[in-house]
Amino acid sequence: MPCRSETIQIGDLDVHLLRGGRGEPLLVLHPEFAAGRWFPFHDELARHFQVYAPDHPGFGSTPRPDWLEGMDDLAMFYADFIDTLGLAPVRVVGLSFGGWIAAELAAWFPERVSRLVLVGAAGLKVEGVERFDLFARPLEETLQQLFFAPDRWVQLLPTEPGTDTLLRMYREATTLARLSWNPYLYDPKLERRLRRVRCPVLVVWGAEDRFLPPPHGEAYLRALSDAELVLVPESGHLVPLERPEVFTARVVPFLSR
Amino acid sequence: MVQFFYFHLMPWPHLPADFDQREPSAWVTLSNRHYDPALGHHLYNEYLDEMEYAEALGFDGLAVNEHHQNAYGTMPSPNLMAAALVRRTQRAKIAILGNALPLHEHPLRVAEEVAMLDVLSGGRVISGFVRGIGCEYFSLGVNPTYSRERFYEAHDLIVRAWSEPGPFCFEGKHYRFRYVNVWPRPLQQPHPPIWLPSQGSTETIRWGAEHRYPFVSVFNSYTNTKRWIEEYHEAAARCGYTAPPEQIGFAAPMYVAESDARAEAEAEPHFLWLFRRGLKIPPNYLLPPGYISEESLRKFLAAGVRLPGELSYRELIEHGYVLVGSPATVAARLAAVQQELGVGIFLYSGRTGDMPKELAWKSMEFFAREVIPRLRAHGAGIRGNASPGGAGSVSPAKRM
Repeated sequence: MPCRSETIQIGDLDVHLLRGGRGEPLLVLHPEFAAGRWFPFHDELARHFQVYAPDHPGFGSTPRPDWLEGMDDLAMFYADFIDTLGLAPVRVVGLSFGGWIAAELAAWFPERVSRLVLVGAAGLKVEGVERFDLFARPLEETLQQLFFAPDRWVQLLPTEPGTDTLLRMYREATTLARLSWNPYLYDPKLERRLRRVRCPVLVVWGAEDRFLPPPHGEAYLRALSDAELVLVPESGHLVPLERPEVFTARVVPFLSR
Repeated sequence: MVQFFYFHLMPWPHLPADFDQREPSAWVTLSNRHYDPALGHHLYNEYLDEMEYAEALGFDGLAVNEHHQNAYGTMPSPNLMAAALVRRTQRAKIAILGNALPLHEHPLRVAEEVAMLDVLSGGRVISGFVRGIGCEYFSLGVNPTYSRERFYEAHDLIVRAWSEPGPFCFEGKHYRFRYVNVWPRPLQQPHPPIWLPSQGSTETIRWGAEHRYPFVSVFNSYTNTKRWIEEYHEAAARCGYTAPPEQIGFAAPMYVAESDARAEAEAEPHFLWLFRRGLKIPPNYLLPPGYISEESLRKFLAAGVRLPGELSYRELIEHGYVLVGSPATVAARLAAVQQELGVGIFLYSGRTGDMPKELAWKSMEFFAREVIPRLRAHGAGIRGNASPGGAGSVSPAKRM
């Protein structure tokens, strides 16, 4: 399934996105890695939906605006994104950091989200559960930490190595650090705010997630009023990249309901 | 007039025997179980004795600095060490090089403490301001992407707090105080001299030249030191003035002994300790995201800089990271630095790494008795024409 590369203006920002497929719209929010990449699971989703996969502000080909200082800014940005494209209410799938954005969006603007899939979503802290510090570790070690199978991480290595790629990665890490250096990858207010989410939520977690272990998924389950948790065996943090067939088998029916 | 400072890091030399094999870093994660407070008591006092001795030997000033949670330098609060020195010294300037402004949630505390030191010392304090190195943003949880913003804003607040009658209201982006009214006020007017120890980022160099703050190149190769000092001179020229020697500083680990051969042999393990152990830092700790600008990172990548930890001892000497030799050799090297770069402030870092006291004291005696006099004679002809750092009543222009 081919995808198109587009740039659209949202407020003061030129936003890059990949778009593919036909049907009802589906917003797919990328993790802290792999902005602007179209994976087989995107293809699979695009067989059923019109997939919108934007680069978050400060990631991929979307510049980092000065106003971006907190997750609330990102939630409001995506509300504008949805309104500008006339998508509301829309199905949303978010992976890791993108899952955190999706959760914030659904808490701030519950009327704009019709169904929500959170995959290994960051955003919550679980007392006593250690989290891997991606800022402190070399990239390769972080990527290896994301997967259960030892050979899968290489798919996230940059496709075109070089100075420009290094600078883009530094810019993306800078955006991530601005939003989540401390508190690290969570928002202390999110757990309480999740009560505002009105739509059904599917929480998908790799049973072998060593980046944000499954208790984080259970925390989402507890905080949401209408949620179901799917633990995927033999998968690490990024289920759609590691077990795409299991992912789409569970997620497409949920989104199609 | 050329000035000589005795610069101390107060290192923790007692690393575990298997440090080289087992520990990836001397910073952030090196467990503090390797710090022995009883040994620390002895060391702190020995280090302070050493600095007091430096005053007796004729150094113009004593310099302390701020680093956190590491074995390289055990002075998380340089102001405490400055306080310990102030009451035990009479003449020497006390240079705090410097307080790491972005790491502080309360810059007014810095303003207060430095003002206290200035009053207590009778106006002998020099107030350096730094950002802290990348590791410290891990150790103290401060967001590195705001490092530079916080540095500038804290600086503005502190300078106003020192030089503007209070109370006044300060409402910045990172720091907000309804009532700024620092007691005591500093003795030096309008405020103690401000220095900028730096690793050479373009932004710091330009900003420092604009403010006429002395720029101190710290622990780098001669090539880099030269490049940055030239950049500073150019920035000063663009601001319409010539930076005098009093405004250019140079800090390096130095060791002086009876002969070149003997000095090189005696210093080797201790200089290598500094660069291979004390400065053993994984790249992620050294460069957290947003700590430097993309522009600076691009330059860094283009230059393909080798870290000093990768250099041999011979290369460290040849590249000028360390100065070692007989009094004549070291004096000649420093005279060249003085001549070529217009340096007027020398910071002698003497107790390097795990260097034993006997060697450190022998070297500083050589330096004080046989190197300093040669350079003073040599530098007598070089005269400054400005008051760096905005210090003293002769420089009312620095009042902000």
